[in-house]
Amino acid sequence: MNTKPIHRTKWFWGWQDDKEEAWLQEMARQGLHLKSPGLGSYTFTQGEPREMVYRLDFLNDAKNRASYLQLFQDAGWEHVGELSGWHYWRKARSGTENDEIFTDADSKIQKYRRLINYLLVTLPIYIPMYIVVINRKTGIIETIVLVAMLLILALYGFFFIKLQQRINQLKTQSLCSKEE
Amino acid sequence: MLTQKELNKYLPLSETTFYAMLSLTQPMHGYAIMQNVDQVSQGFVHIGPGTIYGILSTLETQGLIRVDGEEERRKYYRLTEKGRQVLREQIRRLEVMAENGRQMIPALEADMK
Repeated sequence: MNTKPIHRTKWFWGWQDDKEEAWLQEMARQGLHLKSPGLGSYTFTQGEPREMVYRLDFLNDAKNRASYLQLFQDAGWEHVGELSGWHYWRKARSGTENDEIFTDADSKIQKYRRLINYLLVTLPIYIPMYIVVINRKTGIIETIVLVAMLLILALYGFFFIKLQQRINQLKTQSLCSKEE
Repeated sequence: MLTQKELNKYLPLSETTFYAMLSLTQPMHGYAIMQNVDQVSQGFVHIGPGTIYGILSTLETQGLIRVDGEEERRKYYRLTEKGRQVLREQIRRLEVMAENGRQMIPALEADMK
């Protein structure tokens, strides 16, 4: 059997985790099993086509990392990889409630909140940039920095709006039905 | 003792949180809680690992449970005194609810005819 790793390029935004899970499951159906996730590029190993469940969780908590991983493994999930706080979990599809890592809307909302908090914490990283802009003369470098900063802020804003929409969607779901 | 007002801050507990807390009268780790809830609730309540992780961290932050040891990377949790009082109050409320409901069963069944 060909065991050479296969690379695929694909981009998903943080609020598109459902789509990413579905795509990874489709890859598994074609015999491509995730080996390691990368930023916009995924490495797969070729094997038998299988019905798998992929689930993504976001957790940026170094202190509880070991017990977090152990809990999921106890529940039968395989940790495929981690990418800037995103944890990739998988197991063979059983067609039962055991195929879900989140069993209510509240905990899914919590996941997106963790992501929002993480993004908020990373915002001050751009402080040097702000300082350059605040002390702005009208040089070419200052203009470039200003444009870059505005782009980053716009991207952050877009991210927050999209994540908030996802949270609102889940809140409506939890009012309509307790189980999803 | 917590006052009624303090207790009300945490109530009502969701069905999932209720069963998770009910498991923690003795020290238990996350996966054991999941299994216990499956069994005790007679299959009505199933909790996934992501959900139990979230519940445990929320309850710990609220001071309703605390970590009671760690073994082979598994954290054991246990109810605190505050957690006990909240759970006791929830059970009292559920008893009132169940009793109110029970009294209405004849009326509900009469309507069905």
